[in-house]
Amino acid sequence: MAHLFPSETWAAAYQSAVNNNPRYKVAGKDWTHGKVALIVKADASIGIERDMAILLDVDAGVCHGATYTTADAARESAAFAVEGPYDNWKKLIIENLDPIKSLMQGKLKLTKGHLPTMIRYVESSKQLLSSAQDIATEFRR
Amino acid sequence: MGTLDYTARIEFEANAQDNGLAQMVAGLILQNLQEHPSKREDFARLRGRIAIVAEDAEVAMTLDFTGNMLTVHNGIAGIPDVTVRAGSDDIVQMSLLELIPRLGLPNLLAQNARAIVQKTQNGQVRVYGALLHMPMLLRLTRLLSVN
Repeated sequence: MAHLFPSETWAAAYQSAVNNNPRYKVAGKDWTHGKVALIVKADASIGIERDMAILLDVDAGVCHGATYTTADAARESAAFAVEGPYDNWKKLIIENLDPIKSLMQGKLKLTKGHLPTMIRYVESSKQLLSSAQDIATEFRR
Repeated sequence: MGTLDYTARIEFEANAQDNGLAQMVAGLILQNLQEHPSKREDFARLRGRIAIVAEDAEVAMTLDFTGNMLTVHNGIAGIPDVTVRAGSDDIVQMSLLELIPRLGLPNLLAQNARAIVQKTQNGQVRVYGALLHMPMLLRLTRLLSVN
């Protein structure tokens, strides 16, 4: 069964995908720097009326929770926030794009968080995002 | 060294604001200056233009250092003293280079340094102007290092 992106069920499936990714377990084992928010910008044409987020409670290689919530709420509780338009997130998931390359191209933006720390954990970031490829995803367009 | 407002000492040319590579590199420099006083002397001494090209991402930027001031340009601006051409991954790896304490030189025995050296030898990473401007390159390496 495919999960609509983004949504509560997609977030739940993402948590499972992250925890079933052995490469993330290794790459993320030293991550103790807080929650990560993946923020999808509002796009009323596909029913995303406001900025929404998948808030990941990741610690030491384990995802303890993935919540679909408003971006404002996510920004408050996350230590790191990466934002981008829906189409860029879709492309990143489908094509397993390198998140760092996406940041360099301006397709995604790090809007909260300590950049040097994120760079130190670049492999962890890549594995976190590549876990999304293992989810049966239904895209809104 | 006195208290300096480093935010005010890094300027973006108007067309560099949307350049993700420029934002990342300049952001890294700013945070390092604010958190690591030992890097401030390198910033004060840096004079010259360094271009960085992330070839797989098809994005480039130029850092124009004028002694305690940095102007960030979109693309390759002017005639750089040094140009670094590499994949986006390798540019990130350069900021992860370990530095030898007190010497402030890259530890070439470390794994990622050896990988960068190998890629330089086989042309995957190209640094133009390095020999003529080695001190500039070393200062930039220290400024960008997250270690």
